[in-house]
Amino acid sequence: MTDVTAVYPEIIVTAVAMIVLVVDATLDRRRAPTALPIITIAGLVVALASVFNDVPAGQYFRGFVTVDAFATFFRAVFIILAIFAAAVSPAYLARRMVPPGEYYAIICFSTVGAMTIALSADLITLFIGLETMTIPIYVLAGIQRSDRFANEAALKYFLLGAFSSALLLYGFAWLYGVARATDFVTIASVLTSQGIANGPTIVALALITVGLGFKAAIVPFHQWTPDAYDGAPTPATAFMSVGPKAAAFAAILRVMLGALGPLSVDWSAMLAVLAALTMTGGNIVALAQTNTKRMLAYSSIAHTGYILAAVAAAKAGPSAGAAVLFYVFAYGLMNLGAFACLLYMDLEGTRGATLDELNGFARRQPLGALAFAVFLVSLTGIPPTIGFVAKFVVIQPVLDAGMAWLAVVIALNAVLAAFYYLRVVVRMYMYEPEGTVPRLIPGRGLSVSLGLASLAVVVLGILPNSIYEWAREAALPLVR
Amino acid sequence: MTHLLSLLVVIPIAGLIPLFIFRRDAGAAKQVAITTTAVELAVSIWMLAQFKVGEPGFQLVERLDWLPSLGISYLVGVDGISVLLVPMTTLLTFISVLYSSGGAIKTRITEYMTAFLLLEVGMVGVFIALDLFLFYIFFELMLVPMYLIIGIWGGPRRIYATLKFVLFTLAGSLLMLVGIVAVYIASADASGSRTLSLPDLLELRGRFSADFQFWVFLAFALAFAIKLPMVPFHTWLPDAHVEAPTAGSIVLAGVLLKAGGYGFLRFGLPLFPFGVQAWLPLLILLSVVAILYGAIVSAVQKDLKKLVAYSSVAHMGFVTLGIFVLNLQGGVGAVLQMLNHGFVTGALFLLVGIQYEKTHRRMIADLGGIANTWPLFTTFFGVFVLASLGLPGLNGFVGEFLVLIGSFKFTGVPLGGLFWGPAAAIGVILAAIYLLWMFQRVMYGPVREAYRALPDMSRLEIACALPLLLLTVLLGVLPQPFIAYIEPSLDRVIRLATDPSFTVVAFK
Repeated sequence: MTDVTAVYPEIIVTAVAMIVLVVDATLDRRRAPTALPIITIAGLVVALASVFNDVPAGQYFRGFVTVDAFATFFRAVFIILAIFAAAVSPAYLARRMVPPGEYYAIICFSTVGAMTIALSADLITLFIGLETMTIPIYVLAGIQRSDRFANEAALKYFLLGAFSSALLLYGFAWLYGVARATDFVTIASVLTSQGIANGPTIVALALITVGLGFKAAIVPFHQWTPDAYDGAPTPATAFMSVGPKAAAFAAILRVMLGALGPLSVDWSAMLAVLAALTMTGGNIVALAQTNTKRMLAYSSIAHTGYILAAVAAAKAGPSAGAAVLFYVFAYGLMNLGAFACLLYMDLEGTRGATLDELNGFARRQPLGALAFAVFLVSLTGIPPTIGFVAKFVVIQPVLDAGMAWLAVVIALNAVLAAFYYLRVVVRMYMYEPEGTVPRLIPGRGLSVSLGLASLAVVVLGILPNSIYEWAREAALPLVR
Repeated sequence: MTHLLSLLVVIPIAGLIPLFIFRRDAGAAKQVAITTTAVELAVSIWMLAQFKVGEPGFQLVERLDWLPSLGISYLVGVDGISVLLVPMTTLLTFISVLYSSGGAIKTRITEYMTAFLLLEVGMVGVFIALDLFLFYIFFELMLVPMYLIIGIWGGPRRIYATLKFVLFTLAGSLLMLVGIVAVYIASADASGSRTLSLPDLLELRGRFSADFQFWVFLAFALAFAIKLPMVPFHTWLPDAHVEAPTAGSIVLAGVLLKAGGYGFLRFGLPLFPFGVQAWLPLLILLSVVAILYGAIVSAVQKDLKKLVAYSSVAHMGFVTLGIFVLNLQGGVGAVLQMLNHGFVTGALFLLVGIQYEKTHRRMIADLGGIANTWPLFTTFFGVFVLASLGLPGLNGFVGEFLVLIGSFKFTGVPLGGLFWGPAAAIGVILAAIYLLWMFQRVMYGPVREAYRALPDMSRLEIACALPLLLLTVLLGVLPQPFIAYIEPSLDRVIRLATDPSFTVVAFK
């Protein structure tokens, strides 16, 4: 019985997905678009409350599942992001004839997968969680069936995703060969007793890094990201860019710190180099984009690099883990918000607005533009926003771990990023709405949720203590 | 324990609320902004009155645990240096808002005033923050409103100018952020607790090795040198000034540039004595280059506003020279020069703006004969030009003279004070040449028919310029009371900078 209580949140989210599907099938076609998001959000709020239900920390299901502060943090983050994603979507779905029942159910199923990753104490649980999270996302990317780009996006994402899953699984197999166990604790103790990494361990490490690198979109394993993000319907992109990304980092932390922690000498330098490549590559390509959706896609790669830098600095201790968790939370809020701001624009297909189409947006939709500007300023890392605090807490462990060069790379990258983020603000505020500007959609749900999120970005930027405290406690089970 | 300084941070923020309520009413927005900045000015003068002259330490200190998990606190306070810069800031902001409400800004008034109030929070905050984290937040908070002010209400090339301004500043300040985090980590004691509060850091700066200081001072110096700006990081300044609306130029020159000089005095010098020594030759050289180069480039400008902008580069050269000669006269001169430059160059930008509003010309060649049509304007302009070139009896003289004394007394660096002093003095002569030549071309000569019918300064314009005029004369005739504020605190800064083993227990 206690085993089941440990996974109540996952059960509730699954149930929400089922209910959505059933209600969608029975409800009047006209009522579904308004009823379904309400059911989804209400259900997810219940799930969020159940996350904080007092379950004793420890292992459940014969060591396949672990409940600790880390799991609680990530479960909560995933559910909050899912709620946010569900809240901004309805107007877009209605306009594009995207079947709402499937859409909300997919988001819930994917969230269950992500939550399973956070819970995992074993390679097998982790892999199941990873697949449960990604497979719905493949569908989500192609949910706008009649659109060519959506199909391309889904197919590309599926093929590369499947490929990376295979690599990851192969890596897990090697690891099993080395440790003769699949649970993280045993693997870690075997690796510790083994001392210096031998050939098979290195193979396992390399394969796992590449596999997880694909999932998190680390350069040079990022190629699927821009196309998948670009081709997916915009609200789906908003969710894809944060939920699965956060889940990928939960997986990286569980595997790299939990199971492969004894090898940190081997992987930290490698991850540091990958982090530098990722942030620089993402930013440089983002500079060249004229379509904001693609630009945000590349910029999300750059942010992966910042988070990865904190992972690479794991030897700095609890502050490194706290930095990863804090950044993931901040990134989720601001990046989902930034993508969702594109939903105001009524554009054909899955396209995002080009820079020209944003001209004078501040005059046409003042509060929407303000929210967008807040998210962009936060993504740039300018105070008083949560994005700035995130940069601060990431630079700290990086310097602590003695990687001053990486800290400087982060700072210089933030300047590069400022250029293209602020270019959007320039278009919104400093140009007149001339030429071909798209029609705007009056979306009250969208405005309310974006208003709340942008307020949170500023308030938590000024008072980040509670979140940071929480992130640090949550990271303690993994980083000591 | 008073809350005066926090009040200074809160008032402009509180002003945003009525501004939001009356956002559709331009007239009300103007009144709200004028009232808010006036109250802010009054409180800052009250703060000046509360300050006990003659004590080197921080006063009116407030401390609140802000991020206990990171050991970061909300810590504000003023000493003799910042206590003068704060009222300067609030005065210039008030004048800017007052002038802007007179019709210089025609579109999106509410947004404009919002930007100005936010800017004021940042500017005041920079001068009172005593925690590096807090300082950084205020330092960056100045950035976005100014970016919008130049970018939305600026001239034709405003977007290029504003992006250049932001990217330059951000490049410097983000490297400073890395430096700040490095200081944070180096501040760890045996129990591992870390701090960014300046008083604590001053006590434990002995832990910063010379090598560490070399790099971290560089990171700080880059940020401040870009903000100030020092040559060769000055290229954003002419563009930003030329494109900014008049009020934007006033606070940009009057206040934002001071954040750089102030940063050196508050954090750069006291925290990193070894770092200062290591970079001193280069910094002195760049200061003197700025003085001479700024003057020469000003002389050849065709655009009146650009001329004033380049003259700022030269004046800021005096500020940095005064700071880096590391003696009392130089330092006091530098702080006075910051104040003077705030009042005088702020006023010059104001007058150039007033002139432009009337004639819609800024090219010196298109102007001339103004003295006959606008006697009042010419008088104001003449006094500020004379103050800017350092005429005895006006404020510019006091600051530059002290800096020159300081630089003559300077020892160390190859060549020493007897080289750098005279070299800087040439800058004073050059300033006289380009400013008087400009004055002659703009004010004298045949009266242009097109300008004959244009009115002289209006009452509002006089109200804006007059306080600056009075301060210019006051600081010139009676500098001693101001020096009395500055001297004790500055003396401590110089001692901290020149003697790495000197420690202060600021307050506990």
